[in-house]
Amino acid sequence: MTVITLSRQMCSLGDEIASELAGRLGCQLIDRGNFLQQNLQDIATPADLRMLAESPKYYLREALPGSTFKQVLEERLQKAAHGGDAVIVGMGAQIIFSREKGALHIRTIASIKKRSARVKSQYRVSAGEAENILLNADKRHKRYVSALYGADNSDPALYDLVLNTDHLGVEDCVQAILALKEERERPKNPNEPEICPDEAPRKPPVFKNTAEEEFAGILNMYQMDWEYEPKTFPISWDAEGNITSAFSPDFYLPKFDTYIEITTMNQKYVTAKNRKVKKLRELYPGIHISIVYKHDFNSLIERFKMTKGEEQ
Amino acid sequence: MNKIPDATLDLSQIPDAPAIKKIAFSEQDIQSRVAELGREITRDYAGRDLVMVCVLKGTLYFFADLTRCIGLPAALDFMAVGMYPGTTNQTGVVRITKDLDVDITGRHVLVIEDIVRTGLTIGYLVQNMEARGPASINICTLLDNPAQRLVNVPVAYRGFDVSGEWLLGYGMDIHEKWRNLPYIAEVEKD
Repeated sequence: MTVITLSRQMCSLGDEIASELAGRLGCQLIDRGNFLQQNLQDIATPADLRMLAESPKYYLREALPGSTFKQVLEERLQKAAHGGDAVIVGMGAQIIFSREKGALHIRTIASIKKRSARVKSQYRVSAGEAENILLNADKRHKRYVSALYGADNSDPALYDLVLNTDHLGVEDCVQAILALKEERERPKNPNEPEICPDEAPRKPPVFKNTAEEEFAGILNMYQMDWEYEPKTFPISWDAEGNITSAFSPDFYLPKFDTYIEITTMNQKYVTAKNRKVKKLRELYPGIHISIVYKHDFNSLIERFKMTKGEEQ
Repeated sequence: MNKIPDATLDLSQIPDAPAIKKIAFSEQDIQSRVAELGREITRDYAGRDLVMVCVLKGTLYFFADLTRCIGLPAALDFMAVGMYPGTTNQTGVVRITKDLDVDITGRHVLVIEDIVRTGLTIGYLVQNMEARGPASINICTLLDNPAQRLVNVPVAYRGFDVSGEWLLGYGMDIHEKWRNLPYIAEVEKD
């Protein structure tokens, strides 16, 4: 059984891709319209169905004793998908099936300009009206996933593949998804690593002092990816070219290509460290490195406490 | 008919007001620099689909004045961040408490800030917005303290450079007060 979930921005070709994909795979296509009508009829009145279409919070109401509409929907969706391969459009399926082994989670997006042009042609509306339609649709999609699962549907981490259909057509996207599916199903050589080295669980770093640990805590609060002492830069060599001195900045923020060195020690060590950083900047001119001195660190912590995280 | 006198916040008349060391930037300094920034942004973003994003709350006056100096049909939107507590004081996370209403995919985003110090907050926002696929993302800040910068964030426009002073007014607060001063004052650290 393979489940492919497809989350789409309105008019990003998501529905067309899902339909073509289900056709090629010869599997069922599950979308909100057909699924709710066919699978919730026994527990939902026409009024309930109208409310479910309008308000995400209605899904949190009790549908059966001890079960909300949301829970019933999830159970029945899982049951339907387990009957064979399925392409599921929307309904927060990327989260419902996030732990499903082998499931593929796809999202389609496109620029507002492109989507607007598609809405204009599809609904014969003005540019302004098209933007409003998109704005409302995006809000509703966002509200649904946020209200039911506390997640942001635009977060790329929820997906295996995000396809921008500004310049990709339905066929391009279907081919990309099928290629990914094929690769996933390919029998693996037993010697081939199952996961990328990046995904291998890393040992928690051993910090040299509490200031470094506290600083790592602040970076975590801001949800910033960081690496601890990932690189050592040679900064001096002897006459034979042997490295005589090197420098390993404490933190690296890959997203911002920034190294950070924490210096909360005595002044005599600070001077030596300043010299090293100066040398580092001379030898590696493109490098971004910031030093956090004792005073900076204390005022950062102080401001942080005062503003409860809104430090800038 | 009696004329109602002009109402301007005068700190010298308020007993518990913070002690002002000096006026760091007068109303005139600010308005003149804001107009210059407006002209630069108008020139640089001509012909582009511009979305200007205000980071609440400190930026409200700067955003209101700056956007009125932009000669382009820019879309305006607002964001706010706050701390969500975790199970301990060390495990809270910064989260968006007011998200954008407009879609920024494929559009040119200019984030407007009152002050950038370490760059952690704006870095968090930039990181979040980049995931939505904008055509470009830049920052315009009224005040910049590059000496305190930790994160390499794309500050493209800056009004004034500052050091580590304690500032308030023109949107900046102390315990949510004094934002409505029309100038920026340097105050004694309490």
